[in-house]
Amino acid sequence: MAQIKVKLFGVFRVDTHVAETEIQAEKLKDVFGALNDKLGNVQMDSGLAFKDALVYINGEPCAKKGRKLNDGDELWLLSPASGG
Amino acid sequence: MDHYDGYMGQVLFVDLTKRTHSLFPWTDKDRRRTLGGKVMAADILLHHIKPGMKAFDEDNWLVVTTGPLTGCGCPNSSRFNISTISPLTGILTSSNCGGDFGLWLKRAGYDAVIFSGRSETPVTVNILHDDVIFTDASGLWGKTTTETQEMLPKRTGKLVIGPAGEHKVLYACVFSGERTAGRGGVGAVFGDKNLKAVTAFGTSLPTVRNREKLQKINKKWVHTLKTHPLTGRQLPKLGTAGLIAPMQAHKILATKNFSAGRFDGFEKISGEELAENHLVSNAACTTCAIRCARMVKVDDKVVKGPELEILGLLGANILNDDIEKIIRWNWVLDELGMDSISAAGTVAFAMELAEKGVRDFGLHFGQTDNIEEMFRKIALREGDGDLLANGSRWLSEEFGGKDYAINAKGMELAAYTPRHAVGHGLGYATANRGGCHLNAGYMVVVEGLGLDVDSLTYHGKAALAIMFQNLMESVSAGGECLFTSYAVLPGFLIDKPNWPLTKIILAAFPYVGPVVNLLSHFTKAPMINIPLLPESYAIKYATGIPSTMATMLTWGAYGYNAERIANVILGQKADADTLPGRLTDEPQDPDDPRTRVPLDKMKPTYYRARGWKDGIPTWHRLRTLGIKIDKSVYDAAVKEAYR
Repeated sequence: MAQIKVKLFGVFRVDTHVAETEIQAEKLKDVFGALNDKLGNVQMDSGLAFKDALVYINGEPCAKKGRKLNDGDELWLLSPASGG
Repeated sequence: MDHYDGYMGQVLFVDLTKRTHSLFPWTDKDRRRTLGGKVMAADILLHHIKPGMKAFDEDNWLVVTTGPLTGCGCPNSSRFNISTISPLTGILTSSNCGGDFGLWLKRAGYDAVIFSGRSETPVTVNILHDDVIFTDASGLWGKTTTETQEMLPKRTGKLVIGPAGEHKVLYACVFSGERTAGRGGVGAVFGDKNLKAVTAFGTSLPTVRNREKLQKINKKWVHTLKTHPLTGRQLPKLGTAGLIAPMQAHKILATKNFSAGRFDGFEKISGEELAENHLVSNAACTTCAIRCARMVKVDDKVVKGPELEILGLLGANILNDDIEKIIRWNWVLDELGMDSISAAGTVAFAMELAEKGVRDFGLHFGQTDNIEEMFRKIALREGDGDLLANGSRWLSEEFGGKDYAINAKGMELAAYTPRHAVGHGLGYATANRGGCHLNAGYMVVVEGLGLDVDSLTYHGKAALAIMFQNLMESVSAGGECLFTSYAVLPGFLIDKPNWPLTKIILAAFPYVGPVVNLLSHFTKAPMINIPLLPESYAIKYATGIPSTMATMLTWGAYGYNAERIANVILGQKADADTLPGRLTDEPQDPDDPRTRVPLDKMKPTYYRARGWKDGIPTWHRLRTLGIKIDKSVYDAAVKEAYR
């Protein structure tokens, strides 16, 4: 299991009031459940779920759920956004 | 005989020189051809301008237009438009505003007002339903935009300029409430005409063709806007500021005068930071169902907060991570009456000139203690502020640095740097009014912000840019906020980016070019309305004008081509659709040659699909769209464009 840092952005952050947290996970697919466990199965009023997030690992986009994680990896979870 | 509903049926013509007013001829035929808003204004100006006419010529007109949906109870329908020759670019600008002036203008009985001439002394024009009264504005001269509005009668629609407009800063803007017609320097044209303020008052409202059906559409429309992932969730919760983090992720957050796309301090200037530590409340334009505006505190006053543009351009782009300073500067710029995008872009360019040892204005990347003072100097044209008041293109012509003077056609770019969103770059280059993200077609909405289509491929981008440019043109012409058009994108494509179906659809996007081109050229084809576009239904039920997806695209194409040929008549050269060399020639990621804007690959396709040659509409294209100008004027303008 890797020790990773997760940063939440957009609706994920506003709804959970959590900017960042640390969890242990082996693969990307484990992150979403681990986050729910850590944050107490938080219910976002927007109906979004962590598994729908746009994920960046160490600054690069990654959608492969089987991607193996390493100690010290930093994940960004973003909600969809547009309009400026 | 005029018979369309939704309109007041009158256009007011005000001669500021003689202080007289009359009615400008505008018929149902004109309404059906142009719809309203910026397309109507482009048509009026196209038939007024002369070759070589300049922004500060007495004969330059200011055309303030509304759309037919304004006043008809439709959501997000209080927008109005100001078009004129821009002092910043020398070509037409169309500046859109969400304040309530448009609604009040219709209440006063007019769909539009044209200001011509120049008053000898500062003047306020008061538009009433049965009269136009000119009052002395000497007592308002020198006042800020808020002070000026507070000194005008309550319960009226107001348009005002601040000190920047009075001093003809080339990117001065016009305010209605706390909203602004920001881009292209319309405030400077107000100032040149000594037009400090306009008020409008009345109690009329437009009639509606089919109230029952319109109400039904409006109800569904509000529901769509309130439940869509972008308009119902992200924009109300985070405002436009919520884009800072996604832009950082996608490497499109303009940083250090667009030399990079990521900023280490992005979290400190983000929408999340604004929402958690500075937001007092949301605010909305009249009739808005989205409520994206942020209210914050400056000096214990609750004022309009910064949008994404100012957070990016006065944050990452000048290497500043102090959001409290940005909030304050945003308020200062509003009070002075200056376009924050152009002001910030010009400051960033000045910083790079200093860094390169070309010219030191006292502005340096990462240094923030003298920015507010410089904004005040710009507004009053004092010292170096007098130079910066002319924008980045002028500075680059004086001192050099054109390759990194980040403007298109003289207008500074918005906060999205386009080397990781190449279709957006094409939009910037081809936009009629210059470096505007919205007039560009807002291609980032498919290139990472909204949908996640490959942002580095040039395939299909020309066709998509044209479609979005035309669509946004017509949405704006109807009087609608452009944010309503985001609801066109199916929610699941946005909310479920990791679904296999979403990935398949997005992967196919770059290859829809031929279909989009077909729609653009054979606009009679999609004669059906699609439920995703409530505007076309609303226009039909509000006005009685037959309206479908086809007519929406045709109005957009009409407006885009009318503005373009007007620009050519005003002196725009062939192949003027360019970007600074930094964006087209230098890869943002040095080891990835795809990270530049390949205009050379996209423009030929774009021009072919538009029916343009070297950026100029062909005579055949103008005739096809029903744009009527004198052939000799056209021929002379085209000849001059190649000179």
